[in-house]
Amino acid sequence: MPPADSSTTAATEARAAHAVVLDRITVRYGDARRGRRGRAPVTAVSDVSLTLDRGEFVVLVGPSGCGKTTLLRIVAGFERPAEGTATTHGEAPTPGRGTGVVFQQPRLFPWRTVGGNLAFALARHGVPRDARAARTAELLSQVGLSGMEHRRTWELSGGQQQRVAIARALAGEPELLLLDEPFAALDALTREHLQEEVRTLASRTGTTVLFVTHSAEEAILLGSRVLVMAAGPGRIVEEIAVPLPREPTTDVAALRGTAEFARLRGELAASLRNTATS
Amino acid sequence: MSTAAPADPELAPVASSTASGSSEEVPPLKADPATSKPRNRNPLRFAALRWTALRLVALAVLLGAWQLVVVLEVWPRVLVPSPGEVWHQFILASTVHDGVRGYGDHLLIEHLAVSLRRIGIGVGYAVVFGVPLGVAIGAVRPVAVVLEPAVTFLRTLPPLAYLSLLVIWFGIDESPKIWLLVIAAMPPIAASTAAAVRGVPGDLVEAAKALGAGRLPLLGGVVLPSALPEILTGIRIAVGVAYTSVVAAETINGVPGIGGMIRDAQRYNQTSVVIVGIIAIGLSGIVLDALMKALERVLVPWRGRA
Repeated sequence: MPPADSSTTAATEARAAHAVVLDRITVRYGDARRGRRGRAPVTAVSDVSLTLDRGEFVVLVGPSGCGKTTLLRIVAGFERPAEGTATTHGEAPTPGRGTGVVFQQPRLFPWRTVGGNLAFALARHGVPRDARAARTAELLSQVGLSGMEHRRTWELSGGQQQRVAIARALAGEPELLLLDEPFAALDALTREHLQEEVRTLASRTGTTVLFVTHSAEEAILLGSRVLVMAAGPGRIVEEIAVPLPREPTTDVAALRGTAEFARLRGELAASLRNTATS
Repeated sequence: MSTAAPADPELAPVASSTASGSSEEVPPLKADPATSKPRNRNPLRFAALRWTALRLVALAVLLGAWQLVVVLEVWPRVLVPSPGEVWHQFILASTVHDGVRGYGDHLLIEHLAVSLRRIGIGVGYAVVFGVPLGVAIGAVRPVAVVLEPAVTFLRTLPPLAYLSLLVIWFGIDESPKIWLLVIAAMPPIAASTAAAVRGVPGDLVEAAKALGAGRLPLLGGVVLPSALPEILTGIRIAVGVAYTSVVAAETINGVPGIGGMIRDAQRYNQTSVVIVGIIAIGLSGIVLDALMKALERVLVPWRGRA
């Protein structure tokens, strides 16, 4: 058995070298094992393989119902695939372990203040009580909300709430950050600000990011690599590399005005139109 | 009145109703950008005053009708005493007179205090046992299957039905009264806690899990706080139930106690004392309910906002 053992170890090491490995993932809903309700099982995602290197910013883009959120939920550890294997940093995905998640809605705890929401996250990651205040201030300044510790979450605007949600996801210093259409519910101006800030934050910290959106503009602006998904069943149909500069000092807002950005966005938009009509 | 014309349409009812009384009070309500803040607050305060006035008028009408019925002697005096007699009885029950202390050797306030204490202890135990019971029913399926029908069973029982059993088991002292109130108050607390725990938003549970929350932090940090508004509502209902049950609890050997007082007065056909007791229970109930609502606002300021 030694040879088999060593090959398994080699495979594990290969996986650990990547932030995320999805290997031939298939997800079905309403299949026979979940109970006989007379509904035919729906294949949400079919045979998807995907690898994220450490520090990569990968965007999943596609029409609704293409399974992009499902894939993110598998990487987060909220769901298990019917077939195939998923690993993050070489291990089976477990919620809360080394992975931060930002959802479309902020999902803040209204019974806690802004600082309390961050403290909850810090406590879960073993930050001692007396170190939490300083760390909270640090996190808030990272998302541009310095001094808002004692505010009630419902007093904040939608954009501010989502900033708190991002700070909360960053509290455990995750190696991997998952964002599921985090800016979809925000107004255009706030959305643009947050896009720029998240891009800069990621390039500064080197965090691996998996970002789900249905907006071509957002995908091109943020991703170093964009994966186009199609529905019925959900699958990855195209991969677009985005060679825009990704330095921590890059002026992200100015990127929107470049010809290269316009070209890539047009290309992706055309590709999305094709997948929608096919 | 032409000067009052620019007033907002929504203020019109207020303006017109005051116009009949004194039209001089209308001008502050007029639309005026410079004083927009008081303009927005005044009608509200005014409306609140108006509702208070309406309540007082209704009360006066009620007392008037009562007095009228007594004067016309529709029913014998012994059945329907006049408001004045009830007031007199209230004074007698609240003071030491001719060496007699209140009613049945206790002042009205003491009767009420003893009953409130019983209600407090009963509801206290009901919270201590009802909330964990509700959490268990809401979170653990087998517990729900076994205990939920039991809670519903208890909830539908009238307290007088099990009073006899409690007297057989616990005698006629304090413990059967407390037991009765606990049994009456616990089901609404357990039921609303269970419903609240089941209704905890899955989104928030998932968010907490994504932050690395295990079972205990999830329970203490998400499930309980999220259920708190409904738990408090359940406690408020339980206080109400305990209130309605306290007279039953004090049916036997209930003096001192407001229920015992009413019970004794009934035995001697002291109708006005019965009415004093009823009014005392009702008024203290209104005060307690208002306090509970205030407590809710303090404890769950996020209610209805997030």
